[in-house]
Amino acid sequence: MPQDIRKWFLKPHSKDKDNATIPANTALSNLETTNSEPGCGGHESMGRRKTSKYFATDKQKPEDGGEKEELPAKRKAEKDDGKSVRSSPLKKFHKADDDDDDFVPPSVKKNSVGATPSKKLKSGSGRAVAQKSVDIDDDEEEDVKKTESPLKSSGRGRGGRGASGAPAVGRGRGGGRGGFMNFGERKDPPHKGEKEVPEGAPDCLAGLTFVISGTLDSLEREEAEDLIKRHGGRVTESVPKKTNYLLCDEDIGGAKSTKAKELGTPFLTEDGLFDMIRASKPMKALAQAESKKSVEKVAASLPKKSPQNIEAKSTSAPKAPSERMKTVASPAKRKGQNIQQSLLTWTEKYRPKTPNEIVGNQQLVKQLHAWLAHWNEKFLDTGTKRNGKKQNDASAEKAALLSGSPGMGKTTAAKLVCQMLGFQAIEVNASDSRGKADAKISKGIGGSNANSIKELVSNEALSANMDRSKHPKTVLIMDEVDGMSAGDRGGIADLIASIKISKIPIICICNDRYSQKLKSLVNYCSDLRFRKPRKQEIAKRLMQIANAEGLEVNEIALEELADRVNGDIRMAINQLQYMSLSMSVIKYDDIRQRLLSSAKDEDISPFTAVDKLFGFNGGKLRMDERIDLSMSDPDLVPLLIQENYINYRPSSAGRDEVKRLSLIARAAESISDGDIFNVQIRRNQQWQLSQSSSLASCIIPAALMHGQRETLEQGERNFNRFGGWLGKNSTMGKNLRLLEDLHFHHLASRKSKLGRDTLRLDYFSLLLKQLTEPLRVLPKDAAVKKVVEFMNAYSISQEDFDSIVELSKFQGHANPLEGIPPAVKSALTRAYNAQSKSRMVQAADLVPLPGMKKAPKKRIAAMLEPPDDGIGEENGDNLAENEEENSSDTEGPDATNGEKLQSELQSLNSSGIEVQLELKGAGNSSAKRKPAGRGKGGSASAEKKSGRGSGTAAKRKR
Amino acid sequence: MLWVDKYRPKTLDQVIVHQDIAQNLKKLVTEQDCPHLLFYGPPGSGKKTLIMALLRQVFGPGAEKVKVENKTWKIDAGSRNIDLELTTLSSANHVELSPSDAGFQDRYVVREVIKEMAKNRPIDTKGKRGFKVLVLNEVDKLSREAQHSLRRTMEKYSASCRLILCCNSSSKVTEAIRSRCLNIRINSPTEEQIVKVLEFIAKKEGLQLPSGFATRLAEKSNRSLRRAILSFETCRVQQYPFKDNQAIPAMDWEEFVFEIASDIMQEQSPKRLFQVRGKLYELLLNCVPPVVVLKRLLYELLKRLDAEIKHEVCHWAAYYEHKMRRGNKAIFHLEAFVAKFMSIYKGFLVATFG
Repeated sequence: MPQDIRKWFLKPHSKDKDNATIPANTALSNLETTNSEPGCGGHESMGRRKTSKYFATDKQKPEDGGEKEELPAKRKAEKDDGKSVRSSPLKKFHKADDDDDDFVPPSVKKNSVGATPSKKLKSGSGRAVAQKSVDIDDDEEEDVKKTESPLKSSGRGRGGRGASGAPAVGRGRGGGRGGFMNFGERKDPPHKGEKEVPEGAPDCLAGLTFVISGTLDSLEREEAEDLIKRHGGRVTESVPKKTNYLLCDEDIGGAKSTKAKELGTPFLTEDGLFDMIRASKPMKALAQAESKKSVEKVAASLPKKSPQNIEAKSTSAPKAPSERMKTVASPAKRKGQNIQQSLLTWTEKYRPKTPNEIVGNQQLVKQLHAWLAHWNEKFLDTGTKRNGKKQNDASAEKAALLSGSPGMGKTTAAKLVCQMLGFQAIEVNASDSRGKADAKISKGIGGSNANSIKELVSNEALSANMDRSKHPKTVLIMDEVDGMSAGDRGGIADLIASIKISKIPIICICNDRYSQKLKSLVNYCSDLRFRKPRKQEIAKRLMQIANAEGLEVNEIALEELADRVNGDIRMAINQLQYMSLSMSVIKYDDIRQRLLSSAKDEDISPFTAVDKLFGFNGGKLRMDERIDLSMSDPDLVPLLIQENYINYRPSSAGRDEVKRLSLIARAAESISDGDIFNVQIRRNQQWQLSQSSSLASCIIPAALMHGQRETLEQGERNFNRFGGWLGKNSTMGKNLRLLEDLHFHHLASRKSKLGRDTLRLDYFSLLLKQLTEPLRVLPKDAAVKKVVEFMNAYSISQEDFDSIVELSKFQGHANPLEGIPPAVKSALTRAYNAQSKSRMVQAADLVPLPGMKKAPKKRIAAMLEPPDDGIGEENGDNLAENEEENSSDTEGPDATNGEKLQSELQSLNSSGIEVQLELKGAGNSSAKRKPAGRGKGGSASAEKKSGRGSGTAAKRKR
Repeated sequence: MLWVDKYRPKTLDQVIVHQDIAQNLKKLVTEQDCPHLLFYGPPGSGKKTLIMALLRQVFGPGAEKVKVENKTWKIDAGSRNIDLELTTLSSANHVELSPSDAGFQDRYVVREVIKEMAKNRPIDTKGKRGFKVLVLNEVDKLSREAQHSLRRTMEKYSASCRLILCCNSSSKVTEAIRSRCLNIRINSPTEEQIVKVLEFIAKKEGLQLPSGFATRLAEKSNRSLRRAILSFETCRVQQYPFKDNQAIPAMDWEEFVFEIASDIMQEQSPKRLFQVRGKLYELLLNCVPPVVVLKRLLYELLKRLDAEIKHEVCHWAAYYEHKMRRGNKAIFHLEAFVAKFMSIYKGFLVATFG
């Protein structure tokens, strides 16, 4: 593997050398170019690499001048010589192993594109290396250094960051292909930000296609893309044949490089790219002098393919492209026309006139066309035939439903197709009232609709019905059907009814096909879904418009625009028109800048936001970007951050575990600050603190911790987990409710009056022991009896028993119920239930009473006598036990004192609901209380518990 | 019935541990008008018991004739209506509740309850006192706003209503309230006192209680009488007759905190922090109050720490305990404390041992 890397790395550079030497050898016309420079020597080139660009350009100007002078001559010579010669260096660059010009002839056709880079290379990287050709030893050394440096640096970068080994898998996404776990682990470029990004002529890369692979030496992938696009190049994802360069600084053996090797695509290092770009820059200075000449040239070369233009431009005059565009038609004239027609918006002006002009979705347009064309035969000719056909052909419905996001040309398509087939289109859109009466086509004028359009429709429909042969055919276009809202009551249902009986075709148009409102409608329509046109298609159309308007835009810029508007042509055109007001030349950067703000509007999922905040670049984001990210969901993002911050290995800490822990501690502190902020916001409505809150809970932790994500558990996926807090909090709430129920029963048993926390902290162990230990130790019957007695004494229900067990479970500890045979458990349940009929209900909460819809809110326990006058009620002393299955229903929230309750009780009694006010006499034989006539109440008490959870669900919300 | 409840003194005369306070209280209510009272002291020292006995002293046996109910209050808080539900214990003459259960809406509860009590002055006094008593538990957990609204109403309705406040730490009760009450500090019983109580129970239950065992129970109880009696009974369930060296089972959650502490001491790494987070969650899920967890964790950690960093660790524990009370999501603060501790401890280890 390492050998392989080296091999592929060496190639471009050795080619560089070739480049440098071969021009000399082959004695091309521009031999002088190489010779003219050695004087400046190697340090100049080094200087250019290291020092500021101003320094470099200053130095270069004179020499460029020299070079410049020669270039035209060279070009002429080349033209005479034929392209084959010119392309040779390039070709050599391509084919590493072949060092001669033999290869050229077959590529002559391709050459037109290839020629450009060759030229630039010659003047750029070629030049840089060529200078060294004087001293070959030096040169070689330099080359070795150069080739080594990426490897070394990568190694260094890795070591410095202290990432865990695995160099083979390394830094690129391509490398990540080896293991899923490495996804997203693309490292920072090793020399990130260390190199100065050159600025070249705006179109110096025009016509070139690049593929970026792996990690570059100093640029982020996005930066590289941006750089290339800004200079007119094109960046693609995969490696098509026409790719000119594979931009990579290391060979990671991914699919891209493999394919590139297969296709013979040359590799280009970042330095090479910079050189290419730099090379174009100095020309700018010359441009003025030569502008006239070049303009002429450009004009002359216009009929030729664009790459040649670009070539001319890149070598001779960077200003040329602007000129070139205008040459299509004289700009001045255009401008005049513009002014005349500027009344129309471009979207109207350039609305497609024929179906063929519609961008994208041609297939659908054809389909629509076919459907409409055959509509009459299908549905109108003879009734019998129609029925038969309909059953046969399921897809052919009487109506068509066009769906797709806005701005893709649905309405336009529908109108154009109608127009083409000679249908008269009647459009009803959201601005028309489309209520129930309106949509009744068959009702005609008699349908009591004041809507004139509707009248027309119904009239046409009628007339079409009678003699459609002579009358123009009609189509009803229902636009924006998913916008039928409250105002259009019954609109959809009526539309369906209309479709069923309609004598004219109906085209419905909507944005969201899956809208709930349209659910019934889609069954009656043949479904035509518009897809987003590709950006190239849009760009093509935009280019036409731009040309027609005399606007100067290059294709890359338009593609960028098309990309940004997300398939919405209308928006693209509007943007274009807007921009045309202020400028006549639109460059890539302009579009980028303008649309940057609109691009921000896209939804960011909390996960994406967290990824970005924690990512390698998290430290570089601007503060407002960070705030935006953390505000994308001010509730969820902090939770995600809190859940995942431990997983990141902060880039700033390196291998230092102590530092890492201290960073974690600081992040945790900040998160805990954020919680306090959040409390202030929520409790006191201090919303002005929300920025501070997101700062403390998201931004500071992310700023401290951003780096590489690690997994902490075996087999965990290396993605951000969903915040655990929400789930845990709801479980906590549930458990608190259970505990509260238990507490309530406990209080109601009037054995003690402890607080809930005390119950949990102190009592639980003993309660659990008392409830489970006998089951384990004692014989079955005795155990069950004992436990049931205990439960009765403390009013512990079966559910409370379960919740005690549940709340005592700890991970890694024995289940409290362990060792209890199932037979005993079921015996316990049986015994408990068997007594439920005779059980005193001490906490008569939520007993469902017959005739009461709602479970009573108030739970009222027994009114209890002081027990100190006897040993307790076991003896059946004359305790007056008021067993109340009381219900204080809704109107009694204020009735909180005892007196009122009593009266309520009385009223309930009198109203026939059986409420037992039982006086426990001494006559009760056993210790068991056996209230008379408690059948209902008792059974109810058994059931009541089930209802409790939900009843009190809302209770403990905090 | 559990022994804790069975042998709870019902009257002021029966009190064993705080006899002097009981007698003073008795004198107070029999001889003169009862002022507002603030009982404070550590858990398990007998505050509730004293309060109940006091109420019985004032109102007679009727005070124990309580009913438990979930009361709902509809509160008009300006722009919105709030429904609040709270569990109350009430007899004819007193109402007992824990307003802190209402969370941050506790101030409404305080206001409403007191107002309501003022409205319904006891009609039928039967020679008894013409006032009602409101027992508020966990006053230290009341929010500041609630305490402020309490202060005002305490004065306004003092003719018809007496407050008995009960809390663990008087430092969290505002000065204003403290000055309006008669503060009664209930100390934790000494170990001798606990042993005395345990022996009393053993005698009543007819058990043989070896004195060494009783002493150990008292030691382990952390001077909480309730804990002592409860673990006494737990031991009884587990094994009888008692032996001097019988194991006294710890509370389940204390064991778990112990484990967490060992985890933390063993390894300080993000991975361990993550595991600890899981365990802390578990404690919270089992309804163990976060403050208690933090305290216990600190207690366990301090046992194993070098004296050098004890101070710093205590400082941070206090810091995060404070933040936890101000915040809402307890786990964040617990975790922050653990992270801070790990950071400190790791740094300490590296500095000491390299």
